[in-house]
Amino acid sequence: MISNQTIKNSIDKLKSITKIDFSVWDLEGYIVASTQAKESVGSETVVQFAQSPADSQELQGFHFFKIRGEEEPEYILIARGSGEDVHMIGRIAVSQLQDLIIAYRERFDRNNFVQNLLLDNLLLVDIYNRAKKLHIEPQLRRTVFIIETKHERDNSAMEVIRSLYGSEEGNLITEVDEKSIILIQALDEKAVYEDLEDTAATIRDTLNTEAMIDVRVACGTIVDEISQVSRSFKEARMALNVGKIFYSGQRVHMYNTLGIGRLIYQLPENLCRMFIKEVFTKQQPEEFDEETLSTIKMFFGNSLNVSETARQLFVHRNTLVYRLEKLSRSTGLDIRSFDDAVTFKIALMVENYLKYLEKHS
Amino acid sequence: MASLSLEHICKVYPNGFEAVKDFNLEIADKEFIIFVGPSGCGKSTTLRMVAGLEEISSGTLKIGDRVVNDVEPKDRDIAMVFQSYALYPHMTVYDNMAFSLKLRKTPKDQIDKMVREAAKILDLEKLLDRKPKALSGGQRQRVAMGRAIVRNPKVFLMDEPLSNLDAKLRVQMRTEISKLHQRLGATIIYVTHDQTEAMTLGTRIVVMKDGVVMQVDTPQNLYNKPANLFTAGFIGSPQMNFLDAKVTPDGGLDLGQAGKVTLPAEKAKKLLDGGYAGKTVVMGVRPEHLNDDPEVVAKSNSVLDAKIEVYELLGAEVFLYFTINGANMTARVNPKTDARTGSEVKFAIDVDKVHVFDKETEQTITN
Repeated sequence: MISNQTIKNSIDKLKSITKIDFSVWDLEGYIVASTQAKESVGSETVVQFAQSPADSQELQGFHFFKIRGEEEPEYILIARGSGEDVHMIGRIAVSQLQDLIIAYRERFDRNNFVQNLLLDNLLLVDIYNRAKKLHIEPQLRRTVFIIETKHERDNSAMEVIRSLYGSEEGNLITEVDEKSIILIQALDEKAVYEDLEDTAATIRDTLNTEAMIDVRVACGTIVDEISQVSRSFKEARMALNVGKIFYSGQRVHMYNTLGIGRLIYQLPENLCRMFIKEVFTKQQPEEFDEETLSTIKMFFGNSLNVSETARQLFVHRNTLVYRLEKLSRSTGLDIRSFDDAVTFKIALMVENYLKYLEKHS
Repeated sequence: MASLSLEHICKVYPNGFEAVKDFNLEIADKEFIIFVGPSGCGKSTTLRMVAGLEEISSGTLKIGDRVVNDVEPKDRDIAMVFQSYALYPHMTVYDNMAFSLKLRKTPKDQIDKMVREAAKILDLEKLLDRKPKALSGGQRQRVAMGRAIVRNPKVFLMDEPLSNLDAKLRVQMRTEISKLHQRLGATIIYVTHDQTEAMTLGTRIVVMKDGVVMQVDTPQNLYNKPANLFTAGFIGSPQMNFLDAKVTPDGGLDLGQAGKVTLPAEKAKKLLDGGYAGKTVVMGVRPEHLNDDPEVVAKSNSVLDAKIEVYELLGAEVFLYFTINGANMTARVNPKTDARTGSEVKFAIDVDKVHVFDKETEQTITN
């Protein structure tokens, strides 16, 4: 809804142009905003005018006007002075304030609608009815980006996102919690996932450089209907969570490229614990020393290539082979074989996931 | 402007991955320093730690005399230009440049002064009223630079700022950035994976690989005196040729069937003093140090015989591609050469320019 400060700013600007003092009152006779330090009109006079059928009236050297939201009066505007000119300027002020009230209401309604849409709080029939009322195209290619800021309530991030994407037709921007900005982007027919990844990178880089804040950007899949937007939002949320656990060094997380991490994220915790117990019957992953861990990571990073891993670790090939055999003896898994390597890799990811759960429980 | 000090900086992610390992560097005031290396080598992570966008796991980072490990990015007195910049589409160039200052609640008159000064530096004065749509790619890039300049920072951080531009514009903007550095007299840290950008822009280059600093030196020294096999191979295009060679008892290099290389006395001594006689080392020679001029070949006692597999004329020079002992080789020769695909060619090796590396440690034995 429109704030008193916005009304104050508006009448201050009008005064600076017209040199006429204005005040805005609610229907119960309480002052909302004024350009003067002291009011010469009594509260009772305002209430009497509010209850009268007149739309405007000249009383005691003041022009009184009713400001209507859609139908019903919502505020009373008083312009100081008498005569035609003041009356005309008063009407202009009323017109401006009415437009502002309607615009703010629509924005609030849109925001409210979008938030409920994302959180699945609307019936299917309501989604289409309300979208139509709010002039939101129901059939349009869209995707959802979640922009998570490091700190809560970072207004500069919202300003940047609104300035970048707010003016594009079809885009919707809102917040669902203290740290997340949601951008529902309208896409053209040709948009593909590479384009979305570019957009996510642009959001990250622009917020880094302009607002100077660290952010993570996650993106759901492309949907064609307004009713499917919540699905894209949930996917983006999952991408964000999975990204934080398994790809913590990255800042852009695309749902469609999450890979095996997405699968592990959806496994029940007890199943994960059972899996770890079954795989690591001898030595547990937390018992691995740093050298073993870096060897394993480098070996996986080099697609199980012994020579290349040895080169990158600055060790002799035989040293690496010795380390891998030692690992095989202590875990029962020889990661030089593809099957064991897959089991080991998944087990390490599951272990990571369990650590994350413990930390956040 | 300011100096920077990175002391034993490490970055370890929660999953145990070490992205940056014991990074040490002193950056002087007004220096243009380049972080270069292949994808995933930790150069962007290091830059992001300097920016404050990534937490430092251990080590100390100073900007000037102030330790800034726990200082928020906006309070570090830095400005950044990153790869995927976006201009605000409905704002003019002026407003685009002023936007971050407005966010910081800078007074209007100060904003105006800073924007106009930056526009003057970047030659954008006549474009201040234009919207981004009406700008060329190069002009947009300059506006992105302008957004950093208006902050009047101590240090500029640039992460592959030219990567999204086409080749022609990239060359043009490279020159612009170089001029900008001279005009601003600023300290700049610039990340790139493009060694040409690194060589042309930097006063010093930090070569990185797998989170480790391989070498820090001037472009000229990196090219002429690489400290290890990785730097030797990474810097230079086409890259340095490498051949396994056995060190002879007199300090020469035996290339097997490909021939022998007689090294200058100083280089031979280093090999013998290092106990390399009889051991296998890696010989490195740059493509321009292989000469097919018959007169030079006749005088040389270090010659390679090769059959040309590909002939590439580039106008001012010719690249000849061939294989020796199973290794792919390139020679950069005079365009007047008679060599063509299929020709049998003798190349004289400029032994003064030969590099020798330890095969196991990959460190340079002699340059």
